[in-house]
Amino acid sequence: MTRTPAPLADRVDVLRDEVLDTAERGDRDPPGAEIFEAIVRQLAALGDSAGHGGLDLTLHDALARRLAWGDTEEVLLGDADRVFERLVKACARGLRDPEEQAAVLETASDVLTAAARIVALAAVGRAGRDRSARLREEMAQRRLRDALHEQAQTLARLEQEVKESGL
Amino acid sequence: MSAGGRPAAQPGVRVHGATHVGSVREANEDAMIVDPAHGLYAVFDGMGGAMAGDVASQKARDVVKEYVRARRSQMEPRAMIDAALNAASAAVHAEALSRRDRRGMGTTAVVALVLDPRRMLVGHVGDSRAYLLREGRLTQLTRDHTVVAELLAQNAISPEEAEVHAYRSVLSRNLGARPETRVDIAEIALQRGDRVLLCSDGLYGFTSTEAIQQLLGSTDAPEQVAKDLIEAALRGGGGDNVTVVVIEAGVATVPRTTQLVRTTGSISWWARRERFFEAARAAGLATNPICAVLSPGEAVEIVAGNFVEALFHDLEKATTVNVWTYAENLAHGWLDRGGGWAPLRLLLDILHHSCTQVVADVRRDDAELALIVEAAVTRELTVCEMAVGGVLGERLRAIEAELVKLYGERQAASEARRVDTGKPFLDQPTMPFLRKEATSEAASPEVRPVLDAALRAAMQRERDPAVHDLLTRLHGLACEAAPTAAVTVAARDLFGVRALEERAIAPLFDALDRARRALIGAIHSSQGGAATPVQVAALRQLALAAHRLAASISGLVVEAAQPGSDKLREAVKQTSALRGQVGKNEARLAELERKFATVYDPMAGKLVDPGSSWGGSR
Repeated sequence: MTRTPAPLADRVDVLRDEVLDTAERGDRDPPGAEIFEAIVRQLAALGDSAGHGGLDLTLHDALARRLAWGDTEEVLLGDADRVFERLVKACARGLRDPEEQAAVLETASDVLTAAARIVALAAVGRAGRDRSARLREEMAQRRLRDALHEQAQTLARLEQEVKESGL
Repeated sequence: MSAGGRPAAQPGVRVHGATHVGSVREANEDAMIVDPAHGLYAVFDGMGGAMAGDVASQKARDVVKEYVRARRSQMEPRAMIDAALNAASAAVHAEALSRRDRRGMGTTAVVALVLDPRRMLVGHVGDSRAYLLREGRLTQLTRDHTVVAELLAQNAISPEEAEVHAYRSVLSRNLGARPETRVDIAEIALQRGDRVLLCSDGLYGFTSTEAIQQLLGSTDAPEQVAKDLIEAALRGGGGDNVTVVVIEAGVATVPRTTQLVRTTGSISWWARRERFFEAARAAGLATNPICAVLSPGEAVEIVAGNFVEALFHDLEKATTVNVWTYAENLAHGWLDRGGGWAPLRLLLDILHHSCTQVVADVRRDDAELALIVEAAVTRELTVCEMAVGGVLGERLRAIEAELVKLYGERQAASEARRVDTGKPFLDQPTMPFLRKEATSEAASPEVRPVLDAALRAAMQRERDPAVHDLLTRLHGLACEAAPTAAVTVAARDLFGVRALEERAIAPLFDALDRARRALIGAIHSSQGGAATPVQVAALRQLALAAHRLAASISGLVVEAAQPGSDKLREAVKQTSALRGQVGKNEARLAELERKFATVYDPMAGKLVDPGSSWGGSR
């Protein structure tokens, strides 16, 4: 009986613990998991007739979520770097067929470049929001200064009246 | 430019199609069908690197053509279009799976099936469009199948956001991504004189909707309209392949005003050319710096004469193409000689003033004709302004690119000087996360020739200078043992002085993606057949270089965004301090008011003893 090899995505997924260093961390969802999962997802889509290249909204959402939770852009890029480095080594050992190694490298390159783009555009978005927020703060400051001015006048008047009343 | 079209088999329907590779691309990845015998017309816009785009579009074209020809009389038309496009999608998908270098290829499609001169079906997938021009008004019949268009339809983003959205060119549907696809089909009831335009994004991406409306609305035959549309796209930059199919359902009844402009109006304009010259002369045309090298007679004869002639031909044909060309040539010629904006503005004003004089002259003889001529001439003058505006915009973009280059050079020189003084710029703590990684390994002697060959092949394939720049840098980083500093310098050069906006940042990543894909494609095709260990090693070097460069560019964007965040924090702190001050004042005011209210009886209108009860007198 001949045995059909498992699809490439499954064989790469087996390397998950090694690539994400989960043994050391004891964590099934360690930093960089979103990058690794995007690579596996894209590898699965290569042979899948329903798969299609282009925008990976799941990766986009995962990175956006990490940013929202307070991870900085540099942490995200650092994680991506580590995943790539460890994946290359794991694949060189785990996959014997150069064709398969090439497919993994190409896919990893696609995902990492996409991640860098997402991070950069997220920073651009944040800069835009910061600009708007600063404008709002400046408008609030203008209103507060006006209020301070009016308060100062009222205070002066009241103090004068109190003084004149001899209290 | 290639063109397709022959006498229509359907009476009353005139059609013509034309396609052009554009000014930037090397290959034409568009395809079209012009088949009057079966009333079938279509435009396909292929995509996918390594020359796969043209395979996809041609495959889809052939399948649709054969499918419709074989079943035109047997199937219900709407079901037939749906089935034909699905068959095309399955064929392209199968082709894409069969070869590595065609993986990911696909194509858009917009298909029109003319059932009779009064009915037409339009089916589409992707972002190729169909427009309908009826009584001078242009309507888009199709809705782009892009991620952004769908977000816009769901009101998830605003039209302004859509224009600059990072994913504005990402298709949500195409032929080839899956074996089956969802086709949008609409039935159009045609009227006599309607014109339908099928086009690829190479037209509407580089031409304004107003220009498409103007050109499609001219009284020229479809052959000339198709030619003019392609010329307009090329004039707008021609950054993509452009394909158009113009379908005319019956010859339009020309409105009476247009008839008048084309006949009596143009003649009366031409007859009064001397009046125009006289007005231009009196307004100082000959003394305008643009005419400095001409004698006064030549100034009027050439500058004013050409304008009068261009406008005459436009009135005669009810178009604006001649005046557009005149204004563009004038602006280019003057600005190429180093001329400034003021004389150009002055000259446009002189032309406007002279036109007004001619119209006034026409009004003395025939007030109704003058009104019509005035409207037509105003339209021509508006087009003049738009053409000059376009030229200025183009110049500004070129100047901006030059400034970015100069800034990069200056920065590199400045960084070199700082290294000399023993205080390297790159040691400053701007991007600590980019500096902690070790130097990458240089490519081995076996891998180096593969990378060199890939660079040569990719350079030949790509024509965009920005992509060329990135190809060279990626190749350099992949070959050499590049320290992080070298990657940062490369990223800084590429980043230049971009604005912190998506529309400025996204093209840089697009170019990086294109360069990376071109090199990967070239590495694959360098040795043919299955991948070898040397190719894998080359891919590893390239992938690492691309990742380091992309991460470094992202780091620069993050760094550029940081001052804004710092300023916001500072502003929040200031607002908080001001709020505190206002709060303190409120408390003081309340205290004073309380005190004041205790001693002042507003009913009695006098102060009361704080010790006595309310209303008591002192």
